[in-house]
Amino acid sequence: MSAGDTAAFEATLWRSLGVFRVLALTYATVRIVAGAETFANQAAGWGVLAVMIAWTGAMLWAYGSSRVRGWPLYTVDLLVAVVLVLLSRPIVGAEALGAGQSILPVTWHAAPVLAWAVAGGRTVGVIAGAVMGVCDFGTQAIDVPGGGSPTGAVLLLLGGMTVGHVARLAVSAEERLQRATELEAATRERERLARDIHDSVLQVLALVQRRGAEIGGEAAELGRLAGEQEAALRALVAFGRPAPDRTGGPVDLRAELARFGAPHVTLAEPAEPVLLPAAAAECLAAAIGAALDNVREHGGPDARAWLLVEDEPDAVTVTVRDDGPGIEPGRLDAAAAEGRLGVAQSIKGRLADLGGTVEIYSKPGEGTEVELRVPRTN
Amino acid sequence: MGEAIRVMVVDDHPMWRDGVARDLAAAGYEIAACLGEGAAAVRLAAATRPDVVVLDLQLPDLSGVEVIRGLLNAHPSTRVLMLSASGEQQDVLDAVKAGAAGYLLKSASPAEFLDAVARTAAGDAVFTPGLAGLVLGEYRRLASTPATPDVPQLTTRETEVLRLVAKGLSYKQIAERLVLSHRTVQNHVQNTLGKLQLHNRVELVRFAIEQGLDGE
Repeated sequence: MSAGDTAAFEATLWRSLGVFRVLALTYATVRIVAGAETFANQAAGWGVLAVMIAWTGAMLWAYGSSRVRGWPLYTVDLLVAVVLVLLSRPIVGAEALGAGQSILPVTWHAAPVLAWAVAGGRTVGVIAGAVMGVCDFGTQAIDVPGGGSPTGAVLLLLGGMTVGHVARLAVSAEERLQRATELEAATRERERLARDIHDSVLQVLALVQRRGAEIGGEAAELGRLAGEQEAALRALVAFGRPAPDRTGGPVDLRAELARFGAPHVTLAEPAEPVLLPAAAAECLAAAIGAALDNVREHGGPDARAWLLVEDEPDAVTVTVRDDGPGIEPGRLDAAAAEGRLGVAQSIKGRLADLGGTVEIYSKPGEGTEVELRVPRTN
Repeated sequence: MGEAIRVMVVDDHPMWRDGVARDLAAAGYEIAACLGEGAAAVRLAAATRPDVVVLDLQLPDLSGVEVIRGLLNAHPSTRVLMLSASGEQQDVLDAVKAGAAGYLLKSASPAEFLDAVARTAAGDAVFTPGLAGLVLGEYRRLASTPATPDVPQLTTRETEVLRLVAKGLSYKQIAERLVLSHRTVQNHVQNTLGKLQLHNRVELVRFAIEQGLDGE
């Protein structure tokens, strides 16, 4: 699967090379037609052009077929180009080359260098570029007074190196993406399996609890223990979202709430992720934690709490409710006035940092509700 | 009281199934059928005509949504009370949208369970706080999805009631706090489900017509 996808990606590179061949052939044709009368052997010049046209067609087919593609083909391709470059000297003639006439393939002979680079990477690309560059420079510059310039050879060398480098990079990026996709699929499958297992374990624990209570005696005690474990495991599953990724993007608040999973905490939340900037989600979660600590402090370890997460277009609201004794009206203000409202103040402080608000609703006998509201900013 | 209420129990765990059936029989219900597979339940629904189906959401053969659609198709007046062990998740919401009348955690006590069956039979929506949170979230998701016509919306009162359910208040506590009758609170909760299920059916039909499945 992975090899096939990489091959598919390489096929795109080979197709681009085919485009290069056709364009380079067109340019060479224009140059040969324009300069043919200066050639030492005009007929052979037309012959070379015919060979180049035929060879381009053959290579378009050969590189398009994954079965023919391979080092024998790349080698033959390179040799044909080398021969055509070298033939330029007798055909174009020393005089015309010295006067600035180009070799017959002009730029067409770069194609096999690029092919080597795509197939073998940077080093192989440099080797092919060096071979072709020496032939190019030798043929072209030998007759130019003063030795000529090696620009063409240097371009071949650099082209081989760059294309080789980029091709390797692209292929390895493709492979890495493939691996990441496979890893993600495996993780999802693991999560699905874990859910199935959790579900059957929870089912059995609930059953033991139920039957134990029916049978009574020692079995009732076993049932009670099973019930405790059932509640603990279910809280773990309900709150057990995958850890939020810390890449700086928005995070799912529901995952941040995972640490508050406990048998006495009931969670109500949307089925979809509740996205907030990472810092805001963390800060809000800390405030929720403080509110839950407060519940435990005032209601004892068995105090029940409900968490409601609401995702609105303009804000995220989290309500923490408990069924404790509640607070007398006025006591909250009095406590605040005396500076004793440590927890409430720390919750308010955290929310103020986010531009959010805290509302506390309480009545004796009805428990306490702390509503935390964080506006969305965008 | 007349004829006994007929209940079908669908759960792949035999001991659980039998325990539940025993409790129901002891409480005066008639057990219409007791089985472990969704496909068989759908096949039997038309013949046994249960008033209430107690359905485990995780069955080995069919998904909860498939079973509920099949049951309602075979016997439209039946009311499905879903149970699951692992709590409120996407599949519970999907099942509610497909037409389930209520949801209960498997860890509920036998008394809570019998109360839930009685309320389901009476036409009430049995909600857990977690389910209320999912339903609230679903209405907000629908409202924020652009370009969907006829999106169902909650009234202010319905939102208020649903939020209180999600915060763990009983119907009685909600009625006291909002100065409403118990019945009114039940109706509000029931409406929130009804609108969602209607919307779901309309969407299914719309989808079917778009796909050219309207029985060429």
